[in-house]
Amino acid sequence: MNSQFKPGRYAEHIDVRDFIQTNYTPYEGGPEFLAPPTARTSVLMEKVNALLKAESDKGGVLDVDVDRVSSLLSYPAGYIDRENEIIVGLQTDAPLKRGVNPFGGIRMARQACEAYGYKLSETVETEFAYKTTHNDAVFHVYTDEMKAVRHAGLLTGLPDAYGRGRIIGDYRRVALYGVDKLIEEKMKDKRAYGEKLMSEENIRTLEELYKQIDFLKKLKDMAMLYGIDISNPARDAKEAIQWTYFAYLAAIKEQNGAAMSLGRVSTFFDIYIERDIADGRLTESQAQELIDDFVIKLRITRQLRTPEYNDLFGGDPTWTTESVGGMGEDGRTLVTKTSYRILQTLYNLGAAPEPNLTILWSEKLPEPFKMFCAKVSIDTDSIQYENDDLMRPIYGDDYGIACCVSAMKIGKQMQFFGARCNLAKLLLLALNGGKDEKSGNQLAPKGEAFKGVLDYNKVREAYHKYMAWLCRLYVNTLNVIHYMHDKYAYEKIQMALHDTEVERFLACGVAGLSVAVDSLSAIKYAKVTPVYGENGIISGFDVQGDFPKYGNDDDRVDSIAADLVREFSEELKKTPAYRGAKHTLSVLTITSNVVYGKKTGATPDGRAAGEPFAPGANPMHERDVSGALASLNSVAKLSYDCCRDGISNTFSIVPSALGKDGQERAENLTDMLDGYFGQGAHHLNVNVFDRARLVLAMEHPELYPNVTIRVSGYAVNFHKLSKAHQLEVLKRTYHARV
Amino acid sequence: MAAEKFCVGYVDSVYCGSGVDGRGLRCVVFFSGCNLRCPFCHNPETLYKQGTATGIDELMARLLRYKPYFRRGGVTLSGGEPFLQKQFVLALAERLKAEGVHVCIETNGHICDGELIAAGDLIVDIKNQQSGDLSAYEKFLAECRRLGARVEVTNVLVPGVNDGEEALRALGSLVKKYYPNGKIRFLPFRKLCAEKYENLGLPFVYANVREAEEEDVKRAEKLVNL
Repeated sequence: MNSQFKPGRYAEHIDVRDFIQTNYTPYEGGPEFLAPPTARTSVLMEKVNALLKAESDKGGVLDVDVDRVSSLLSYPAGYIDRENEIIVGLQTDAPLKRGVNPFGGIRMARQACEAYGYKLSETVETEFAYKTTHNDAVFHVYTDEMKAVRHAGLLTGLPDAYGRGRIIGDYRRVALYGVDKLIEEKMKDKRAYGEKLMSEENIRTLEELYKQIDFLKKLKDMAMLYGIDISNPARDAKEAIQWTYFAYLAAIKEQNGAAMSLGRVSTFFDIYIERDIADGRLTESQAQELIDDFVIKLRITRQLRTPEYNDLFGGDPTWTTESVGGMGEDGRTLVTKTSYRILQTLYNLGAAPEPNLTILWSEKLPEPFKMFCAKVSIDTDSIQYENDDLMRPIYGDDYGIACCVSAMKIGKQMQFFGARCNLAKLLLLALNGGKDEKSGNQLAPKGEAFKGVLDYNKVREAYHKYMAWLCRLYVNTLNVIHYMHDKYAYEKIQMALHDTEVERFLACGVAGLSVAVDSLSAIKYAKVTPVYGENGIISGFDVQGDFPKYGNDDDRVDSIAADLVREFSEELKKTPAYRGAKHTLSVLTITSNVVYGKKTGATPDGRAAGEPFAPGANPMHERDVSGALASLNSVAKLSYDCCRDGISNTFSIVPSALGKDGQERAENLTDMLDGYFGQGAHHLNVNVFDRARLVLAMEHPELYPNVTIRVSGYAVNFHKLSKAHQLEVLKRTYHARV
Repeated sequence: MAAEKFCVGYVDSVYCGSGVDGRGLRCVVFFSGCNLRCPFCHNPETLYKQGTATGIDELMARLLRYKPYFRRGGVTLSGGEPFLQKQFVLALAERLKAEGVHVCIETNGHICDGELIAAGDLIVDIKNQQSGDLSAYEKFLAECRRLGARVEVTNVLVPGVNDGEEALRALGSLVKKYYPNGKIRFLPFRKLCAEKYENLGLPFVYANVREAEEEDVKRAEKLVNL
């Protein structure tokens, strides 16, 4: 018989946080208890590795099911190795076989199939010939101006042809309550909303509730395909993990959002695991085996993408982000033994980019856990860090990270993903009086084109004017996209795992920050004269003298960066967002910094036309020459207050500069994280390696199949990046002390 | 007490973020000017006192920006030879310590000055590459021991120059004499600095000597502890 969980508010209301707080066991010790992989796990992982190799040999896609449209009940049960799996469930009927999801846009689905030598079946084509997709609907409404800025690359990566993603369902609810209880609660809500005035807003909510309930029922049926009844609460650790995984699986069958993140499950699982261990029903080795098996499943989630999509988001990422650790509001750490167990998968199964393990870092984290995380970083380059001390006061202690850096209270907040605007290109637009520097087209209202030596104040004024114009257009464009996404590609199962009254963010973004900032610094501190081409458009800049560069802890230029993001954030807020969403801003590029660079002419900072930008909030490649800490200090000056959707910094240091041996390196890395986050910085991707190793991996990919690196808010297998992305990664600054 | 005129130091550069110049994470201040002319010098730009005249307040303000990272670490004064700028170094070390910042000074050990020796933990780089005469270090290390200074000894290992058995044994016995539990950290000779010599128009005497590899370092570590 199971011991009983401690009772709490969660028994009466949907409140996973309360369940965690009343029942979890903080762990302040070290990693000594961890278990190696079992023989079963190793055999299964070998099978998976063979599949991954076959996928890679086939050019990145192993197989596509072109006959069915992906959803919860489209495929029969699938297995990797039925006899030996503990946690079951695949997206389609075979591992690594990708499903087709045309709700975002049929053209994308068709092109994605063709890119890998497949043809979308007549059945699917016919079915969608009579359907409006999200993509169709958006283009029905887009204005000419919206289409023009999108085409020019001033706004890029807009989720208007694929699932918007970045929504985290509270998948734990299925384990804690069972699906029947969740349906009952949603029906209660539906009855209550039925009493309200039938305004447009209320009717929409009621229709959404109908869809949520419908998909909760489908979720039960989906689990039954595997012979498992998830109507009732999970009774032990294995069930808790299985139930939660089914909920997540339903989400990735239904939606192909760019980032389909997992949330914060490890400490929740720990409650069940520790109870089973205490009751003598589970050993440490079996506990680790459960987590290993779960993580194997997360590692093989796939979506079908087009090559253009891969240019923006290189390396086939899924952002199955799991947030680990952090502190509770009551001062107890949320680190549990299962926080260790999930990190241990990087040793038991080998380094890998997914799930995107994200440490919620606090100065107060238990010291042994800090050291373990640092060791994992140094050994695997697979994890990232975000500042819990910064986010907890805003989001409480049960938030999770979606994608790379987007924080949300789990099950209570969602976001409308808004891609990003190209700040460097916007500066060129301002200098060219509203014309696109590549095509010469008048994109924005006509203004004065700059001639002769540039005057900083005048440039800044024009930049502001065009920024205001673009911010309004940007928010309006996103409003169109998200209205249509709600209408034609609503996330039924994910929203069923949210409270009905949900808080929404409109998550905007900027790219090319360091290029724009260094360009403004050049204009302010050196002598910059635009050089005009024959077409009457600026083709380059003559720069005389030196200027301070972002990334060296020099306030003269770092203050420009801080001002720029604040100004952009304030401008965004002037245009109301769809469904009362709150505007947020991220400084994050994924790997789109390469594409953005391609679409942007030469800039006053000396960057040549077409050259990649630095990723996220990073200083420009090799311009941060004052040392690792100076570079970190510059980025730390960007305020999270105006960048609530996250500030991404990807950092690489060579092992020989970090410390003399493994122990010192780990200590120094924890001090670095404490020092960086202590100043209010938000995020750090950590890589500890020599550039030479990546050069070898690029030249001999067959010898280095598992080289994993953090690129920009996520990790990738290095060999899965395109050549252009690999070269950009090699150009980055590798902090060394030589 | 640091008088007004000592409040300016000649600094070549400040590097913020080293894990290998003393314990923990450190900022390294490279002073300009050196009393030696070692042919393997990795920082030839610091040989002459031609760096930026830097006020102590300005330098302090810059270094204190990194205090959040200094849980185990601090500031290392290097160069060049920091002992050549005695008053400035003493004043800077005093002010850093007053702020709770750990101070480490890297020196070539040729200037035996008790006040400077007592100003911080020391990294003494023994230069035995041109001659086997270690007498300067006898005096220096004796003074260090008398003052109870914490000392880390380093040595740039140059293949074919100072990696012979005899040189290594002599080095080992020198260090053991004053610091019986002391270990010597070998820094492998590297030629990344060749470009700096070229830019400065200085000859790089060791241009044709091969770089030291990990195996050379391991071998030297064995021999020195015989």
